[in-house]
Amino acid sequence: MWKYIARRTVEMIPILIVISILTFLFIHFIPGDPARLVAGKDATLEDVENVRHELGLDKPILKQYVDYMKNLVTGELGTSLTTGLPVIDMFKTRFMPSLHLTFLSMFWATLMGLVIGVVSAINKNKWPDYFGMVTAVSGISIPGFWLGLLLIQLFSVQLGLFPTGGLDGFSSYILPSLTLGAGIMSMIARFTRSSMLETLQADFIRTGRAKGLKEHSVIVTHALRNSLISVVTVAGLQFGFLLGGSVVVETVFSFPGMGRLLIDSIAFRDYPVIQSALLLFAFEFILVNLIVDVLYTVLNPKIQLNS
Amino acid sequence: MNYVKKLVFVILCTLLLAACSEKDNSNASNTGDKSTTESGTASSKNELVIAVNENFISMDPHNTGDTNSSSVQETMLEGLLGFDADGQIIKVLADDYSISEDALVYTFKLKEGVTFHDGEQFNAEAVKANIERIMNDESLRLYSRGFSLISNVEILGDYEIKVTLKEPYGPMITRFGVAKMISPKMIKENSADIPKKPVGTGPYKFVEWVQGDHLTIENFDGYWDGGERVAKITYKPVPENGSRVAMLKAGDAQVIYPVPAQNIDELSNSKGVEVNKVPSTIAHYVSLNTYKKPLDDIKVRQAFNYAVDKDAYLKVVNAGLGLPLDSIIPSKTVYYKQQKMYEHNIEKAKALLAEAGYPDGFDIEIWGNTNSDTMKGMQFIQQQLGQIGVKVEIKSMEEGTLSDEIYGAQTPEDAKLQMWYVSWSAYASDITNATKPLFHSVSFPPNGANTAYYHNTEADQLMDEANSISDVDRQAELYEKLQEIVYQDTPWIFLGVDEVVYGVRSNVSGVQVNPTGGLDVKNAKVE
Amino acid sequence: MTSPTTMQNSQVQNTQKKYSPLKEFWKSFKKQKAALVASIFIVLLIVVAFIGPYIAPYDPFEPNYDALLEGPSASHLAGTDEYGRDIFSRLIVGAKISLMVSFSAVFLGLILGTILGLISGYFGGWIDKIIMRSCDVLFSFPDLLLAIAIVALLGPGINNVIIAVMIFSVPSFARLVRGATLNAKENVYVEAAQSMGASHVRVLWKHIFPETISELIIFVTMRIGTAILAASGLSFLGLGASPEMPEWGVMLSSGRDYLGTSSHVVIMPGIAIFLTVLAFNLIGDGLRDVLDPKIKNN
Repeated sequence: MWKYIARRTVEMIPILIVISILTFLFIHFIPGDPARLVAGKDATLEDVENVRHELGLDKPILKQYVDYMKNLVTGELGTSLTTGLPVIDMFKTRFMPSLHLTFLSMFWATLMGLVIGVVSAINKNKWPDYFGMVTAVSGISIPGFWLGLLLIQLFSVQLGLFPTGGLDGFSSYILPSLTLGAGIMSMIARFTRSSMLETLQADFIRTGRAKGLKEHSVIVTHALRNSLISVVTVAGLQFGFLLGGSVVVETVFSFPGMGRLLIDSIAFRDYPVIQSALLLFAFEFILVNLIVDVLYTVLNPKIQLNS
Repeated sequence: MNYVKKLVFVILCTLLLAACSEKDNSNASNTGDKSTTESGTASSKNELVIAVNENFISMDPHNTGDTNSSSVQETMLEGLLGFDADGQIIKVLADDYSISEDALVYTFKLKEGVTFHDGEQFNAEAVKANIERIMNDESLRLYSRGFSLISNVEILGDYEIKVTLKEPYGPMITRFGVAKMISPKMIKENSADIPKKPVGTGPYKFVEWVQGDHLTIENFDGYWDGGERVAKITYKPVPENGSRVAMLKAGDAQVIYPVPAQNIDELSNSKGVEVNKVPSTIAHYVSLNTYKKPLDDIKVRQAFNYAVDKDAYLKVVNAGLGLPLDSIIPSKTVYYKQQKMYEHNIEKAKALLAEAGYPDGFDIEIWGNTNSDTMKGMQFIQQQLGQIGVKVEIKSMEEGTLSDEIYGAQTPEDAKLQMWYVSWSAYASDITNATKPLFHSVSFPPNGANTAYYHNTEADQLMDEANSISDVDRQAELYEKLQEIVYQDTPWIFLGVDEVVYGVRSNVSGVQVNPTGGLDVKNAKVE
Repeated sequence: MTSPTTMQNSQVQNTQKKYSPLKEFWKSFKKQKAALVASIFIVLLIVVAFIGPYIAPYDPFEPNYDALLEGPSASHLAGTDEYGRDIFSRLIVGAKISLMVSFSAVFLGLILGTILGLISGYFGGWIDKIIMRSCDVLFSFPDLLLAIAIVALLGPGINNVIIAVMIFSVPSFARLVRGATLNAKENVYVEAAQSMGASHVRVLWKHIFPETISELIIFVTMRIGTAILAASGLSFLGLGASPEMPEWGVMLSSGRDYLGTSSHVVIMPGIAIFLTVLAFNLIGDGLRDVLDPKIKNN
């Protein structure tokens, strides 16, 4: 397995290079002129050209790309076009909050999702099942920004329990992570339930029961493990998404994460920031995928990775 | 059983990671400025939390384009001149100033006994260092706004300085108000830090700025003008309207700006909260492409103006706030003169349209950005013009795309723009910038924001003359004439002028918003 | 493990279904009470979508500046919005737009994603690699940027919302189907079929695709709801359908500023969206219990 991980890690490099080229072209392909946006509405053409020259945007695109990659190799992510700050500095303050928020949201969502899913499956068509599934359906049918606003209205304005937004210690994470995790919890609950139901009917489970294994041991050792394959897929995907920051939730809660940095940078066509953020997201995503694939083998030894 | 172990292992790892991340988080906030963790509940401790609607972009006063960043800078940095609550020019670090008749030479006498936050003395040397920084660096925003025209900076004494221009530039006096003074030591030794943590002479000094989260300033004890002030102010960008309102109600913020129009009533009725309105220099209008059919016909443009009910506009789109735009510039702008408005008259509008040869109306596009207010305004225009048979298609485009579509057209012939729902804001003291980029024929895109492609030789001449003199009475005369001519030519649908609204907790006083929309908390107090 | 039995079972079931699949299906589906109610709701909704313009009490586009933001009353069942338009009429007329957007986006995404996922999981090797890495690239692009790019390139409008939402779902479908395919491929009866000389297409279609159906059905029903929500998310960012359209997502997000003051403007479309998503999910659950060969009722 270690060999496999090593190989996949090496494989990442060409993928990231391809992605960097694609994103670079992509970003420059989107309409919008950073020089114009930086210069301002009242700028004359001459002002705009001055800015363009100063920002190095008048160089050929290939040269811009090569320069960017050269810097990247030495650990430099460039300088933001709008703030004039090093991109790495901007990432430093934004990345950790996004990461913490992702972990917290995934943690409670996965745990709750598994519990609800298992309980519902065991009590199929009984009231815990109905209750669990109604909770799950509610979670995915409420738009994120709406849920966020409702939570703020209730917990911050009416009850004064949590801050309305920003980042002041742990309590600032609670409402955003509730909002972010709600949908994921529901997904995981539903997937757990359906996979559990499937595996509980499967023959090896019946064999297990017939062999006289205790019910909870059947559920935990066989059924849950088998169900976890689809759960891991879903959770992995969601984890990857969240790492990119959630624009909507971060906007509602004025949360200083990567998502809002990205949307602000897009608004100003701040190429170095967008480019570096996208590369970072791609890297994170590939990493999460690798972890998912490895978990597959742990959970289902029938799947062979090296074939 | 082996798998159970693995499973448990996986779960434990997740738990551990989560636990670690929590720990990291508490560490992170503790290692920073200790007091920042308490900033959320500052009201009782002579501190202010201010929630604004946008992120700060840069703290470099010579390179700032957004009102939000510059209003924070105002607390820490001061210029030779400045602006009063009505947006008119006042003296700040200058004791006195004069302008030559040919509008080329500006002479300043400086205040004595002023020190920067880092202990440096404020004097003619310091002013020279600042002006030269701007005139020698074309990447700075102020460079292209007057400072590139400076030919010479001459020190006349320790506290006297003379600036000479190559050619007259009307808004220069406003620029001396905008260009804030940075410590000369910082310019010389540490200019890379200017956008991050500026050092100036203002009543507050910089503490920290965590990008996207907050920016903190504290009282500067050595301020030259003395006075009692709040000990510490924390600014937080909160773009979502509902969240900002919630913060004020919950007491998480003592000041919010702006207050969304639809929440004014709600907040006015809330306990412990006050809402205040101020007329601004922010004008809303729809520019009409006068170069192309069907808007090249003045009758069509007049019909549009008669068709749109300005009072309903303010009521529906602006929640009853603001004033109708009754000239080509807002009433707070210097030399403003009221014009006779196009009243709401559907019949007249229909008749004009028929006269122009469109008795059954036509199809047309309106462009705008994706802000919810803009979309609301465009829908309103669509509804109003629908009443005279004009079918309007709304194209809301993301800002970058929109700007490409508009400024991508190199000639008036290329322009695809028909109507643009937009707003414009200039300093109240700067009428040049409120007219020339919008109505002068040299300002056709991509060279300016004359998106109506308005061209009137007489208007061009009026603006040119007014810009080349310093005689205030003559300028007033010229600009009054200009307003008459342009208003009659109807290059826009004239809509409204914003009132800007801010909300404070009742125990906060001394907060002001200037007409440009800048929040001024220099004299704020908490009881 | 006990593979021969599995093979027999599924074969037996397949043959049973072939006798009277519809009748058989209806018999089992009737037992799913919640799904039944939900189906009736969706059918009604589809009917409303078709006849909406004829039964709406008011013109959904007609403003009334004298009746702004009025709460629900006898004359306006769901109140009026910020232009004084009747929200109830807008919801009725908007049902068609919202359903059309989500249906088209999800089914286009489903078709594309399933084909890619099946191929990827079944053949493995470099095909798998190319498809999965392309999905990674698509995935690692934040939705927002894709949306901006699509809308920037194609211009604003409802069709481009469909395309954007579709593109978000393709990689999810592909990955999901691939995962299920990997799982199913290992089953002995697939190997058996392969060894008996069945063609790739036949194995994929007859043996592997059915294995993925249960997960796909759940995912599709979820996705239809998600698509409505995604459209509203695009509207939240100002990239959705044209603002005067009574699309539910547009209504929900343009009403959000009034949550604290005239909450019905937000709550009404919110309820419409909630009920619709709920119904789709319940139907999905019901269908699943009926269709999935591995789950036997009781």
